Amino acid sequence: MATIEGIRKAYMDFVLTEGEQPKSVYIFAKKNKMTEAEFYQFFGSFDAIEESIWSGLALNTLIEIRAQEVWQEYSSREKALSFFYAFFELLKSSRSFAVYSIKKQPKGFTTPKVFEKLQEIFEGFAEEIINEGIETSELSDRKFFSKRYKDALWIQFVFVLNFWINDSTAGFEKTDEAIEKGVNVTFDLFQRSPIDNLFEYGKFLAKNGGMKEKMGFGF
Amino acid sequence: MVNSYQWVFKNHELSAMNYELKDMSDTPKEQNSIPTSKVQRSGKFVKTGFKIGGNYIKHYSKKLFNPELDKSELNEDNAADIYESLSELKGSALKVAQMLSMDKNLLPQAYVDKFSQSQYNAPPLSGPLIIQSFKKYFGKTPEQIYDKFNLKSTNAASIGQVHSAELNGKKLAVKIQYPGVGDSISSDLKLVKPFAFRLLGMSEKELDVYMREVEERLLEETDYELEIRRSIEFSNACANLDNIVFPTYYPELSSKRIITMDWLEGQHLKEFLATNPSQELRNTIGQALWDFYNFQQHELRAVHADPHPGNFMITPDGKLGVIDFGCIKEMPEDFYAPFFSLTSTNLLDNKEETIRAFRLLEMIHPNDTPAQVEFYYGMYKQMIKLFAMPYIDNTFDFGETKFFDELYGFGEKISKMPEFKQARGVKHFIYVNRTNFGLYNILHELQAKVKTDTYKPHVTMQFTVDTL
Repeated sequence: MATIEGIRKAYMDFVLTEGEQPKSVYIFAKKNKMTEAEFYQFFGSFDAIEESIWSGLALNTLIEIRAQEVWQEYSSREKALSFFYAFFELLKSSRSFAVYSIKKQPKGFTTPKVFEKLQEIFEGFAEEIINEGIETSELSDRKFFSKRYKDALWIQFVFVLNFWINDSTAGFEKTDEAIEKGVNVTFDLFQRSPIDNLFEYGKFLAKNGGMKEKMGFGF
Repeated sequence: MVNSYQWVFKNHELSAMNYELKDMSDTPKEQNSIPTSKVQRSGKFVKTGFKIGGNYIKHYSKKLFNPELDKSELNEDNAADIYESLSELKGSALKVAQMLSMDKNLLPQAYVDKFSQSQYNAPPLSGPLIIQSFKKYFGKTPEQIYDKFNLKSTNAASIGQVHSAELNGKKLAVKIQYPGVGDSISSDLKLVKPFAFRLLGMSEKELDVYMREVEERLLEETDYELEIRRSIEFSNACANLDNIVFPTYYPELSSKRIITMDWLEGQHLKEFLATNPSQELRNTIGQALWDFYNFQQHELRAVHADPHPGNFMITPDGKLGVIDFGCIKEMPEDFYAPFFSLTSTNLLDNKEETIRAFRLLEMIHPNDTPAQVEFYYGMYKQMIKLFAMPYIDNTFDFGETKFFDELYGFGEKISKMPEFKQARGVKHFIYVNRTNFGLYNILHELQAKVKTDTYKPHVTMQFTVDTL
């Protein structure tokens, strides 16, 4: 009897041995001794399998980091760091698949189909920790921009993912550094910074720029 | 490194220096990013360069109005900027900062003040990265390995940081290395080089052999597997020395980037001295230090080459605790024999053999003119005599300021001589001098009276061609 896990495994095995997706669901199902109907009970397409592998990784990461004792004590910044580290640690065991899945995606600005669910989960998580950070005033609440924080984190995530794919250092040490540095910089920007003061000053000038006329100092 | 001698001579304020650090109110900025790639690091240094340029402009424009102004404010500005950039680079650059501050006579006072800060305060790494390091090397989180683990580090150890932990009722110290430190050492040193040239006024070619020696030691320090092997080896070899304690090391809880050892309770030297200890206790600690170093030098021929006060603790029961074996200098026979034989007055009275020893140590070069040979012979003999003073009698009082004044004065004198602007002396001097003068300084700080004949140098009276 087919299971989600079984199909994922069989699929990963297939693409890694053959270097490409099976020609049809029929061939794949036959090879794995199930009917096409059984396959469709779980997945609508091969891309859907890949999508679920990626989102599965994210879900497992979340389960793992939330189970850590220190989780409750972490700041938002540390929670984000923790997610990144744990995700890439998990991903290590499926590196070949990850490389295969990422490399075949067309270059572009939109999120490829197979990453959509992952993105959804990631952004859900990001929003949660960002709101938490804003509540505890660890992060600065900025009109309009705070809504975009999660996008910045996603961009960071995609960047690290690509960095990791090309990382050839032992134990992916460079990726660790990329995470430590990248996530910290992103969070630095979320915190109150000179940018905020600049905005404040801009607002002040906009409001009070016409002061001279109003106060009757015209020459 | 100019002449491997002159830069250690002024060291004697070194320890006093380091102790003051904790009182310094200006802590470094909290750091949230480490520039990693060489390009970024270079960027950092370039920025520093600009800032220093700016400092000079500031200095000279002030000087226009106040011709009395001396350079110390300028030096201070420069030092702050260099320190800031080095501190952000972390890792090996920080180590270089530490080395430079150890050899502080090389640098104007202000540079050193700032550099010395790095010996105590480096900004910490994030908690998740620490957990990640454990998962990588042990497949477990620190919570799963230890009964208790403090995610906040207690102090920085230049290429890593130290955390306290507990297992089976024992308090442990866990040292964790920053990721990517080893990788960046060579490139960091290349970046530091131009600064070093400018600061020391030396040519790249002359500096190179010393730089490589430093690089080698630094790379060894990043190898925690080597460090733990050596720690166990050396603490076993020195186990019989009186009044010295070593922490137990746990190889099964250690890896390439993590070292677990017992937590040594005790006071750092400065804290210890602040309690106004009795002369007797100071002598005991001093004796332990002396024995520790001289036993290693003369019996093991390899020595803990980092006599930085931070590496020692004085335990509540009045013993010396040694906590860091990251930097070990091995002394080959072709260095050991000529160098330590010079500490024997009998040899030093024999001019011919002394010159031969100086040649072996490259303190006198083959193409020196007879006048130069005579000059360097005279100067180095004076120097060695000073260095060997503690060895001459059975006891030596390191509390005596006269000895240190002489040492200091001599260092001052030769640092102004153009003859010593060029590199002389084999590379081994760097760490051997650092070790011995560092030791002298700590003993001076302790005002200890020490029996110096406990572990004596092995002396060769004649250098035949075979010993070459």
